Amino acid sequence: MPAPAVVLRGVGKRYRREAGGYRLRTLKSALLEGSLTSGLGAADAVEALEDVSFEVAAGEAVGVIGGNGSGKSTLIKLVAGLLRPTAGELAVNGRVAALIELGAGFHPEISGRENIFINGALLGLSRRVIEERYDDIVEFAGLSDFIEEPIKNYSSGMYVRLGFSVAIHTDPEILLVDEVLAVGDEEFVHRCIARIEEHLAGGGTLLFVSHSMGLVEELCDRAVWLDQGRSRAIGSPRRVIDAYLEGVAKREGEAHDRRRVRGAQQEQSPPEEEAAATAPAAEEEVLRWGSGQARIVGARLLAGTSAEERYHVHCGEAVAFELQVEPREALDDFVFGVGVKTPRGVDCWGTNTDLAGYEPRRLRGPVRVRLVCPELRLAPGEYTVDLAVHARDGRAYDYRRGAFRFTVAESSALRSIGLYLPDHEWQVEALPGGGAAPQAAIEWLSPVHANSGGGPRNAGRKAGAPSDSRRME
Amino acid sequence: MIEVARCLIRYRGLVWTLVLRELRARYRGSVLGFLWSLINPLLLLAVYSFVFSQILPRDVVSVEPYGVFLVTGLFPWIWVSTSLLEGCSSLTGNSALIRKAVFPVEVLPAVAVVANLVHFLLALPIVAVALILSRLLGYPIAGWTFVLLPAVLLIEVVMVAGLVFALSAVNVHFKDVRDLLGNVLVLAFFMAPIIYTLSDIPPGLAQVVQLNPFTSFTVAIQDLLFFGRLPVTGDWLVMAVIAVVSWAVGAGLFARLSDTLAEAV
Repeated sequence: MPAPAVVLRGVGKRYRREAGGYRLRTLKSALLEGSLTSGLGAADAVEALEDVSFEVAAGEAVGVIGGNGSGKSTLIKLVAGLLRPTAGELAVNGRVAALIELGAGFHPEISGRENIFINGALLGLSRRVIEERYDDIVEFAGLSDFIEEPIKNYSSGMYVRLGFSVAIHTDPEILLVDEVLAVGDEEFVHRCIARIEEHLAGGGTLLFVSHSMGLVEELCDRAVWLDQGRSRAIGSPRRVIDAYLEGVAKREGEAHDRRRVRGAQQEQSPPEEEAAATAPAAEEEVLRWGSGQARIVGARLLAGTSAEERYHVHCGEAVAFELQVEPREALDDFVFGVGVKTPRGVDCWGTNTDLAGYEPRRLRGPVRVRLVCPELRLAPGEYTVDLAVHARDGRAYDYRRGAFRFTVAESSALRSIGLYLPDHEWQVEALPGGGAAPQAAIEWLSPVHANSGGGPRNAGRKAGAPSDSRRME
Repeated sequence: MIEVARCLIRYRGLVWTLVLRELRARYRGSVLGFLWSLINPLLLLAVYSFVFSQILPRDVVSVEPYGVFLVTGLFPWIWVSTSLLEGCSSLTGNSALIRKAVFPVEVLPAVAVVANLVHFLLALPIVAVALILSRLLGYPIAGWTFVLLPAVLLIEVVMVAGLVFALSAVNVHFKDVRDLLGNVLVLAFFMAPIIYTLSDIPPGLAQVVQLNPFTSFTVAIQDLLFFGRLPVTGDWLVMAVIAVVSWAVGAGLFARLSDTLAEAV
């Protein structure tokens, strides 16, 4: 087995804070020990990465995900050799190309052509090699008409395209990509992804930082989730992405709860009974209203066959919306309702026990009510849930807008537009006529099902496959 | 310090590419373009020779022709001082590059020195023309000794590079260095025998001037080009010692600080 391309063992990186008067001391430590951060206390330093350990095998594609400030870029820069770890061991075996900030070495006053040679030289290519690859570089960047223009006249997109093109043509063994694909237009991004897939198909290694979960899942064999400088999960992209999005949803939910508590406190200041009748439904700020004759004291989303509490689900998964209701007095008129909306307030789906035909008789004590959907066919995206217990004429006992949020996972196998995602498949048959033999009427590559066990290097996905072929189920 | 030298030798191709970039970029967009590297020192020379031959009393400086003497001291000084000024901010001015691209940072200070050296070499024909004209006019100056100029320049490059390495690395942490440097260079200019000769000033003062590390290089180049005589062995020795010390300190300091550059710059 070949040596792993990248090995991190307990790697940590601390930065010093610049605020405060520590410059002299750090210069001294830099001169004496070659480190800017030694001799700094916890208050003067920031741990950007702490105790990160994983390996990237040669030929493997690993995605790095995490929120802003989680240490993703620091990690890439450490592997690239731009920064040195302040703790742990880091080994890199192979020629590295880091697509971090593209075109960093470009000089604005001179032409694209000259800049290709300079940038190539900075990235370690000899003049002869650059000459050999020059035409490919220009063509890939799509800049043949402008290559003699000074770079300062380029648009930011052209700039990045040229930078990416030079970097990718350095023929690296290990490719480090840090979110650079976010800048180019759709067409160029497709070309880049095709090129990265080509790199992988040729046995190259990839370390890929992205906020696009779909891309990470599509390109990578494994993923690492960094959270505040520590690795929270390492494993199959699907699992790690789920864990990450789950974490995000939970954090957002907590923020949401805090806001809700504030709203509820404001609402409780007037006498409860009066406030109820004049529920100010028009005001967005108030997230909860009602007479309080019955109250929703608990709300959860249960997902999957084991019905665990979870706010990150997959399309088609079984879910149950659960609310726990406590009546303050015995009620003979009550309706339970659930509504699902997009964050912008578009109703996706809603129902209640009245619509379903249940006739209320008596509610005397606390109950747990569940609305169970064996298959939630919502398109990937974020949703909020309104829960209510009210009278049949609509008077609210307790109405909770945005009781919780959940996300439906994005998955390359389930790309579509809109909110609703029914089971579907594409079928095609050749029609007689047109001169061609029936079996030659159409040629295409069928998509690879994401869950059929194939990795990113399945036959249908290899280089040259039309990058716009949609994968659907 | 050996590593820094080895690195520069290994990446000489990159240094040269970047030097060409500097030279090309400098005059892009100007009408006279490349000619500026000749016109600039000539204009400066015109200013100095006007001031020091017309405004200030003529009898202070003993050498004739004064303008030609001035050229042989001034042009090397322009190279040294612009190298130091540009080299000093060669790291801070390229912070985007240092943070984002993986390449040997050592090349950047070296590029500043070499690019300005090229400018100096390109201005040498002016010096040659001036010397030849003076000879034709009957002044007993210059001679075959000019062939040793490369030797002095080689030693001087080592000294200047050492200074630039030190200045650029320290300037990353203390931006004050650059501002201070400008003034130090003005002092160094007047404290070196460029607009006068050592024999024109009181002996006591001449001893002070000789403490200036740039003095021995200035005098050596004036000897070879203007006076047509060889520096004595002691002069060579002094220059070599200055160069070695400068390189050792500068490259050593740079190597010490280079690990921290990407985050501090």
